[in-house]
Amino acid sequence: MTLFHVNFPLTATLLTLLLLGHPIKTRGADEFSFDMTAFEKKALEWGGFAEVQIEHMDVGQDSAMARLNLYDQPRADLDRLSTALQLDGRYNRDITTFNWVVKATVQDDQLSWSDTLDLYEAVLELKPSSATSISAGKKSYKWGKGYAWNPAGFINRPKDANNPEEALEGYITAELDLIKSMSGPLRTLALTTVALPVWQGVNEDFGEENHINLAAMLYLLYRDTDIDLMLFEGESRSSRYGIDFSRNLASNFEIHGELAYTPELRQSFLQSDHTLASRERSALSTLLGIRYLTEGDLTAIIEYYHNGGGYTETELAQFLDLIQEGYSDFLNTGDASLLGLSEQVSQRGYGRPQPGRNYLYAKLTQKEPFDLLYISPGLTAIVNLDDQSWSLSPEVAYTGWTNWELRLRLSLSEGDALSEFGSKMFHNKAEMRLRYFF
Amino acid sequence: MTINRSISLVLATCCALLFSQSPALALDGNEILRQVDRNMQPESYEMYRKLINIEPDGKKKEFVLYSVKKGSNKMVALFLDPASEKGRATLRLDDNMWLYIPNVGKPLRITSLQSVVGGVFNNSDLLRLDYSLEYDATEISEEDDSYLLTLKARTSSVAYDSLKMTVDKKTLLPTTIECFAASGMLIKTLRYSKIQDFGDGMVRPAQLETDSPLYKGYTSVMLWAKLTKKELDDEVFTLNYLSKVEELR
Repeated sequence: MTLFHVNFPLTATLLTLLLLGHPIKTRGADEFSFDMTAFEKKALEWGGFAEVQIEHMDVGQDSAMARLNLYDQPRADLDRLSTALQLDGRYNRDITTFNWVVKATVQDDQLSWSDTLDLYEAVLELKPSSATSISAGKKSYKWGKGYAWNPAGFINRPKDANNPEEALEGYITAELDLIKSMSGPLRTLALTTVALPVWQGVNEDFGEENHINLAAMLYLLYRDTDIDLMLFEGESRSSRYGIDFSRNLASNFEIHGELAYTPELRQSFLQSDHTLASRERSALSTLLGIRYLTEGDLTAIIEYYHNGGGYTETELAQFLDLIQEGYSDFLNTGDASLLGLSEQVSQRGYGRPQPGRNYLYAKLTQKEPFDLLYISPGLTAIVNLDDQSWSLSPEVAYTGWTNWELRLRLSLSEGDALSEFGSKMFHNKAEMRLRYFF
Repeated sequence: MTINRSISLVLATCCALLFSQSPALALDGNEILRQVDRNMQPESYEMYRKLINIEPDGKKKEFVLYSVKKGSNKMVALFLDPASEKGRATLRLDDNMWLYIPNVGKPLRITSLQSVVGGVFNNSDLLRLDYSLEYDATEISEEDDSYLLTLKARTSSVAYDSLKMTVDKKTLLPTTIECFAASGMLIKTLRYSKIQDFGDGMVRPAQLETDSPLYKGYTSVMLWAKLTKKELDDEVFTLNYLSKVEELR
C-alpha cells in the first residue's frame, strides 16, 4: 500500500522542522528576565493541540476479534494514519464563564477512511461566590480515584486504560456545586449535584430515554484523606451507590480505592443456545491502587480491579467460541448469520474494553534515566487475572521541545485463543504520535 | 520629651548589652525563622513565577505560573505557559498535594518529592509553605553578617529531612539553603538573590537558583513578579475550585 510512502517523508519533514526550529541556546551570565506582558489576563483564552499518529498493526489472523471484524476481507497487517485537532477555550466575564472543547479527527487505513467532529464540552457557568457555582451544558465528568478504571464514576464516559489521560466527550447536564472549607479534622466539604436528562437527541447513548436522572457526589477532606460518596438515581440506568478514597501515606507513596454497588444491574448475556437474554443481579465492584515513587525517580501506579458487573471467564469464552463457530460456518457455507449475532453480542457488552471480572493494571514510568532530560520511558501492563491473558505496552516519551510531545509505543497482546487479550484483533501494534500544543 | 528620650536610650542600651554579651540567650532560631517567613511572603497574596530548567548544554525549558497563598498552609499554582502545560493546577493544603490536568479532569494526589515540571525543583519547592510550619530550628550559630540555622522537619511527610539555612542578619532574608535527606545526603542547594521591592513593604529576593548533586550539570531558576497582597476565600483552596483558578487573576 502507498500509505507509508506518503507518511514517512511527511514525518521526516516534521522532525527536521522540529529540530531546525529549536536551535540550542547557550547560557550567558545573569540572563534571566521575566516579562509579564505576555501573561496578562484576557477575557478570551484558547488553546489546544494538533497531532499526527502513525500506527502499524499485525493482525492476529486466528484471533476471534480479527475473524469477527475481518472475515470478509482478511489481511495480515494494517497501517493507519490519524490526525487530530483539539481546540479548547474559555470566555470569562465577571461571574460568568463559558468553557468549550472541540475535537476533530481524520483516520485513514487500508480498510476505511473516517472523519469526526465532536463537541466534547460546552458549559456555561455562573459563580456568584467562591463557594457556589451553577452550570449547564455539555460537561465531561471524571468521578472516582482510580487511574485506569473508575467503577464509582457513574456518569463518566469509560476511559481507555491504555490512554487514561485523554479528553472524553461529556454529557449534557445541569449542575450545582457547593463548597465549604473548615478548620479541624474535616477541612473541606463539597457537594456536587447533577441532573442528567436522556431524551431523543440528548444523551441518547447514556441509557433509556425520556428520563431525568440525578447524580450526586459529596466530597470530604477528612484527616488528610480524600473521601467521595456518590450516588446515581434514575430510570435510564439502574441506581448505584459508591465511595472512594485517596491518601498520601508518605512523601512518595499514595493509596486509593473505589467501591461501587449496583443492587439491580440490568445486563445482556449470551445463553448456551446462542440467544441473547437479559438478567438482573446485584454487582459490587472494587478497585484498590497505589502510586509509589522510588528514590531513582521510578513512578509505579498499580491497581487491582474487581468488576462485579463483568462477565465470567466461561461467559467470555462462550462469546469467543460463538465467533469461531460463526467463522467456520462462513467458511463452509458462506452463511454469516452467527457472525452477525456475535457482532450484536459484542455491542451489547461483551465487546467493551475489559469486560471480564478481575484485572491488574501496572504502569511504570522512569523519569529521565541516565540524566537524559525530558525522556521518560514507561511500561503499561494490563492482566486479566481470570484467563491469564495480558497486554504489555512499552513506550518512550520525549518532551524536550517546548510545546511538542513525541511518543513511541509498542503494544503486545498475549493469551489463549478463548481469552480476552488472546482474542484481540491486533496481536501487536507499533505507534508514533507527535503532538503540538498551542 | 526628654524623659521619653531617656527611657528609649536606656532600653536601647539594655538591648545592646543583652545581645552583645549573651547571644545564645538572645537568639531564638524559630523566631528568626518566623520572621524569615513574614519577610518572604505576606499572609495572603498572589504572585507570578517563571521557572527555568537549564541543561548542561545551555538549552532552557521555561514555565510560567500564577499562584495564590493564604495563611501558612494553603497554596495553589496554575500553569500559564507553555501551552502544553497551560491549565494545569496544583493545590497544597498542609502536607496534601493534588495535580489537576484539564484533560484528565479530576485532581490526582501527588507527592512532595515528585516534580510536575521536571528539572531540579520538585513539588514541595513549587508549593512551598512557611518554613516555620514544616521545620523546627534545632541549632543556631552566627557568622559576621549572617545566622546559620539548622532546621529539622517536623514530620516525615516533609520533603527534606533537614535544612541548613543561611540568613542575612540585616534583612532577615535567606541567602542559601542546603536540603538534606534523612541519610544526610545533600539533595540540593537553593540560592536566593536579587533583592527587590515588590511594593506594600514587601522587600525580598526575586530570584532563586538551585542545583543538585543528583542532577549534575543541571540548574533550575525561579523568578518572581507581581507579588501582591490579595484577600482570598478558603474555598479557593479546594479540589472543586482547581478548574477555576484562572478566574482569580
